[in-house]
Amino acid sequence: MVDITETLDVSGEVCPYPDVKSKRKVKKMNSGEVLEILVDYPLSAERIPETMESLGHKVLSNEKTGTSAWRILIQIK
Amino acid sequence: MEFMYALIGGLIVGVLFGFVLQRGRFCMNSAFRDIILLKEFKLAKAVVIALITLMIGFAIFAFAGVIQLAPKPLKIWGAVVGGLVFGIGMVLAAGCASGTTYRVGEGMVGSLVAGFGLTLGALMTGFGVLSDAKVFLQKTVIGEGPALTLFGEFGALTPIFMLILGIVGAVLTFYFWGLPVLKKKMEAKEPLVKFDNAVESIFKKAYPWWVTGIVIGIIGTVAYIVSNGVLGITGGWMDLSLWLTTGDVVAWAGFIILGAIIGSFISAYIGGEFKIRVPKDGLTLLKQLIGGILMGFGAVTAMGCNITNILGGVPQLSLHSIITGACIMFGSWIMAYLLFMRGDKE
Repeated sequence: MVDITETLDVSGEVCPYPDVKSKRKVKKMNSGEVLEILVDYPLSAERIPETMESLGHKVLSNEKTGTSAWRILIQIK
Repeated sequence: MEFMYALIGGLIVGVLFGFVLQRGRFCMNSAFRDIILLKEFKLAKAVVIALITLMIGFAIFAFAGVIQLAPKPLKIWGAVVGGLVFGIGMVLAAGCASGTTYRVGEGMVGSLVAGFGLTLGALMTGFGVLSDAKVFLQKTVIGEGPALTLFGEFGALTPIFMLILGIVGAVLTFYFWGLPVLKKKMEAKEPLVKFDNAVESIFKKAYPWWVTGIVIGIIGTVAYIVSNGVLGITGGWMDLSLWLTTGDVVAWAGFIILGAIIGSFISAYIGGEFKIRVPKDGLTLLKQLIGGILMGFGAVTAMGCNITNILGGVPQLSLHSIITGACIMFGSWIMAYLLFMRGDKE
């Protein structure tokens, strides 16, 4: 089990807020910390992991937790 | 008879359109905005592929005499002002005209609010208090003869230019975007097409950008043939609202919208992505309403939203549509910068 440092709940938010908020959040976090992102918007759920990887962070997991609901774990580089 | 034709034809094309919009997450707001905001190009590539497909499709059926091409005349201030306002509005509304429509089918309440804003803004500009502004902005028409295209006045040669540009575009995009992907797959020894889970990939998974682009292009071509040139979202919302409030008979465009919402709902439902969602922050809803009204004004002033001008007009090389498209993109960049990027630089 990974230790989650912080949780960002962007459920109900429309594009591009989930993407922008996650990007702003990881900037403020320290190396090795883990961010949990809860999102229910399909396009952002697909793109947040891609954006994070291109920024160099590690996507630990990306699971669908229910109808249009995803839980993404990011480890900061 | 005509009504039934509009009803059935419009609904079928609309359902297909909505289904693919949802699967492909085809939204020009995301496509344009994310070029600068997230440096993410997949949707923008899908738009380019759709345009190339449409150019070739329109040209072939124009040669065959099946369709009449009708590029819009260059009303320069309508294109510039309408395009910019539309671009600014769509970032606020969190979706272009087509993006807003398909998200209604996904259960996004914010997009429904934006859709109502779009309708209100369009009606205000078409027939109401803002119609003087529209008439004023559309007064200047550049070119006295047939509509101006990228290669001079519209004429018998235009479809030939469209075909050439479409084929050159197809070759270039295949070389620069398609080959690298193919190479990667070959190296990873992945099969190029997976047939074992075709049903799953068509009905449940998000489409890759190039599939979305080609399919949107084909549906756009079919819609143009079936409706004789009517391909639009904003007009459809106006149509529907006039039918509901004044009893005017819903024409083709209204049924496309109805169909698109149904198609998107079916797609979202099958894919497990349908849920009624409301933004937590009430201010977001207000922004989406205002954004919608701005889009409505922009679309009517520029003689078309992003679908009519970009998917319908740009493939016909209409200078009006090309300028409108560029201004929509520029407007969305201005707003994305103001809202999301300013003060965000390290």
